[in-house]
Amino acid sequence: MPPISSFFDKTYRTPDFLTHKQMKRRAFLKSAAGASAIAAMPVISLSAMQQVQFGELIKTDPWLTLDATLNHLLPSSPTGPSAQEIQATAYLFQVMTVQPTEQEETDFIFKGVGWLNDYANSQKSQNFAPLTFEDKEQLLSGISKSTAGQNWLNTLLGYIFQAMLAPPSYGGNPNGIGYQWLEHQAGFPLPEKGQRFFELPSRARIAVQVQSDNKEPLIARKKNNSQRINKA
Amino acid sequence: MTTSPIWDICIVGSGAGASPIAHQLSKAGAKVLVLEKGPWLTEKEFFKDELTISIHDAYNPKLNDEQHVIEEEYLDENDQPFWQGEKTSDSGWSWWNGNVVGGSSNFMSGYFHRLKPVDFRLKSEFGAITGANVADWPISYDELEPYYAKVEREVGVSGRVVDHPHQEPRSTDFPYPPIAELPMSSWIDKAANKIGYHAIPVPRAILSKPDMGRRSCEYSGYCSSYGCSSGAKGSGRAALLNHAVATGNCTIKANAKVYKIASDSKGEITGVHYYDGLGRKKSVSAKIYVVACQAVETSRLLLASTGEKFPQGLANNHGQVGKNLLFSGGGTGQGDFIFSELTEKKVAELKQVGPFINRALQDWYQINDKAFTGANKQGQAKGGTIDFLFHQNPIARARGTQWASVEDSHESGHDKLLWGEALKQSMKTEFTSYKTLRFEVFNDWLPTDDCFVSLDEDVTDQWGDPVAKVRIGYHEHDLEVGEYLSLKAEKLLEALGAKNISSSVSGYPSTNLMAGGCRFGDDPKTSVLNKNCQAHEVDNLYVTDGSFMPTGGSVPYTFTIYANAFRVADKIKAHWMTLQS
Repeated sequence: MPPISSFFDKTYRTPDFLTHKQMKRRAFLKSAAGASAIAAMPVISLSAMQQVQFGELIKTDPWLTLDATLNHLLPSSPTGPSAQEIQATAYLFQVMTVQPTEQEETDFIFKGVGWLNDYANSQKSQNFAPLTFEDKEQLLSGISKSTAGQNWLNTLLGYIFQAMLAPPSYGGNPNGIGYQWLEHQAGFPLPEKGQRFFELPSRARIAVQVQSDNKEPLIARKKNNSQRINKA
Repeated sequence: MTTSPIWDICIVGSGAGASPIAHQLSKAGAKVLVLEKGPWLTEKEFFKDELTISIHDAYNPKLNDEQHVIEEEYLDENDQPFWQGEKTSDSGWSWWNGNVVGGSSNFMSGYFHRLKPVDFRLKSEFGAITGANVADWPISYDELEPYYAKVEREVGVSGRVVDHPHQEPRSTDFPYPPIAELPMSSWIDKAANKIGYHAIPVPRAILSKPDMGRRSCEYSGYCSSYGCSSGAKGSGRAALLNHAVATGNCTIKANAKVYKIASDSKGEITGVHYYDGLGRKKSVSAKIYVVACQAVETSRLLLASTGEKFPQGLANNHGQVGKNLLFSGGGTGQGDFIFSELTEKKVAELKQVGPFINRALQDWYQINDKAFTGANKQGQAKGGTIDFLFHQNPIARARGTQWASVEDSHESGHDKLLWGEALKQSMKTEFTSYKTLRFEVFNDWLPTDDCFVSLDEDVTDQWGDPVAKVRIGYHEHDLEVGEYLSLKAEKLLEALGAKNISSSVSGYPSTNLMAGGCRFGDDPKTSVLNKNCQAHEVDNLYVTDGSFMPTGGSVPYTFTIYANAFRVADKIKAHWMTLQS
């Protein structure tokens, strides 16, 4: 299959990482009850070097466009914190550079930047970031009508939710601004840097390669013209 | 390959089925080795972090490294059913429940309802059900009762005994008073009373006061699937293994993945083989072996442990290992309390977080209702338990607020993405205008020929060993009971004044509530274990997780797994003593 060239490419299919995310967790009895007082919240999440790096990167693409998109998706207004106030771009930067995120996902996010700017240039003869609010709104509405565009925007919105409501040590939600706005009481203790999900002691990660031949998918995957018997 | 010195007891796994054995045997003076696949974490490594627990499932293996194959039933073009497996690395449906020292007990809710006498004799009591392999247990409630009491003391269960129609016999009161409750608990009590229900306090494996070297519950607000950072939750690690290690007789080897229990030409176990933290093959031998890796993985290990005398897997010469796997039947339901319809006082009460609801209904633990379609000729059927709870995860709650239904006829049926002010409004409304009370229904998952564990012929784990393939067929009866109970629970939500009441009962298994696969029973042809949970075919092999259960009862499994493991610990102790003399 040739590479996808735009949000409107008819050969686009939703990437596996998104299909997995969209699948409802069916362990329905796993649940969390109760809640409690707000704990101490650190503000700083990126290291000094990462902050400098991020400050520079955000001036150019792809981060310039991602920042502009996130700021448009959650704009500054009196009704609630903006993408800037919840540090959504810094959070996404952290997801793309510090957290172990699937390559397929980071590739998709970056490809979307290219597709958005191509579309912006075709419609408005310039990149997305410098456009007016109305033009940006029109373009995002345009791409949201395509599956790829909807997937891309939805991916960014998912990270806005995380930036708003994840523990501040992950880079968003400074001083619990998202918790306060949504009147949510965080649990405690919250993780600090060094205690985030990807920094916990992991179980044995075996570096043996001998099984590589056995890792191929070996069972039929497609169930054409079939459906699960629905007894519910 | 290196061989270590002989141990008295070697236990594979470290959760609720394993930890009582380690605790009791090491206290008795036996040299105990615990092999756990995951790392050894402590209270210092558990946080109230939704990303860790829910979104990245960080206490479990990555599915590309270790997974399962799940077989579901489909219809072909001619409406003929067939079973099709799917790798969980393809579906994203993890079947792991906490691969750390202490296992899934670190992440349990700790609803510690006992089984009731009727659960031990379902077949005698209600008769056979076509298509289900229902069997009575080879022991009675009376034999397990002292061990329930023991768990309440040793693990620490907080609760309050009340009279109710299905109260099981108890030899003792709870050793700890109930943990703190929310105002919702008294709302439920009043509403239940009004409609003739009996709301009962839920016993919890959570300390309500500091004891046994552990802190009390600190009401951090996120319990259930989160690891406990105070030590109040009675995980096998916090409650039992720490004390076992303190005896000086128990060694826990973390990051040790057991892949085979080897046996010789006489059918005797020669050792347990595992990969250590660096992936090296190691082996150990012991006088007595105990397997407790949670139901699916226990069956997988035995099936993978072939030998000259056991060509189909250890203790499996009658083909029973992996059969009659159980989950929990039932479903979930919910109702909303709309703040604008309530007084300020009520809203303030609803917004409280920290303590627990801790209310359950067991009025229909046995259904006596001729109108119930699933009843036997006497109008009797086994029912179940309904528990109430609030959810807390905010990121999960936010998901969905970005979608709006499109009313426009041109695009009808499609959802539209929201952003900007519309998104803000949607989020604010979701979080601040109502609160959802949920319930969970637990009823028996009937054992059938369509629910079992085998080894997948193609898919292997990161070490190259075949993964477990799980067929997840269910019995129609489970849905009927689940729906019957859900409707009862919905009536309570109505009496509470909740809106948007709904429930959902399905045949999908609850992957965190699993049992069966190595039934105990008197007949070696139809069971893997004898009544002491000792393998019929191998004298020095015991299975002490939930695998032993022929039927599972209508409550979460952990309490009964603990109680049975303490019971079997006495049998193993006696066995070990005979080997000493």
